[in-house]
Amino acid sequence: MFTLVIGGAASGKSEYAEGLLLAAPGPRYYLATMEPAADAECRARIRRHRALRAGKGFVTVERAVDLAGLRLPAKGNVLLEDLGNLAANELYSPAGAGPDGALRAVVEGVLHLRAACRGLVVVSNEIFAGGRDYAPGTEAYLRLLADAHRALAAEADSVCEVACGLPIYYKGAKP
Amino acid sequence: MMLITGPLWSGKRDFACRLLGCTREELAGRAVWDVQALAAGCGTDAELEALAGRLAGYEAVILTEEGGGVVPADPAVRAAREAAGRLACLLAARADCVVRVFCGLPLVLKGECNL
Repeated sequence: MFTLVIGGAASGKSEYAEGLLLAAPGPRYYLATMEPAADAECRARIRRHRALRAGKGFVTVERAVDLAGLRLPAKGNVLLEDLGNLAANELYSPAGAGPDGALRAVVEGVLHLRAACRGLVVVSNEIFAGGRDYAPGTEAYLRLLADAHRALAAEADSVCEVACGLPIYYKGAKP
Repeated sequence: MMLITGPLWSGKRDFACRLLGCTREELAGRAVWDVQALAAGCGTDAELEALAGRLAGYEAVILTEEGGGVVPADPAVRAAREAAGRLACLLAARADCVVRVFCGLPLVLKGECNL
């Protein structure tokens, strides 16, 4: 079972996504894609997410790029958070696949992960309704994430958008 | 007329092709897209209404949502975004069917269409 959960900043998408895996048998992995925290705001946000997950039985695995090369300790359920970070890492990070390989690295990486686990929930960001008047270079990132969203939505069993913590299902049924 | 809306690069034109049973090349004769950009040229509400009326003659009208994100500091960009949002509402009122495409997946907001 592969669910794609998309929402705006602080829409409640992470908590909703975690909830989707709570009833599933272990092991539960939290695949964190954010690169080692660059600033205090990032560190505070990571602390908040760790507190949210505390007691929910997730084992944290950190992986910023190359999901296709990831081997999980056991076949379990995975919460990947989040696709927006992963795409940025593949596009911009020195360790990433770069402009020509980022889309493939992201999409194939997620599909590899799906094949390697029982249940997969991927969290991503809705950033596409604010026009396209951004700094040069940002459009390439927007395009990459939009392409990844469509490719993965086509493969997913369920796709939902979260607003105020509540899901709107575009594909599949609300569990 | 069917209004197809949704965020940037969400698969709106591909969806229109699927629905109309045509190729990307053939779509130009049957649909019009990026109409949110046309709204900025309307100075008055009457002009915006007239634009919506003209567009309603197409089988499908495709509009990209631009109203999310921070309100732009530049007055002209702000006005254009306002006009685009109002145009979307005017078109939705005239449409038999309104579909929002999200990650390539359609959600019917108004009317019925054979997806």
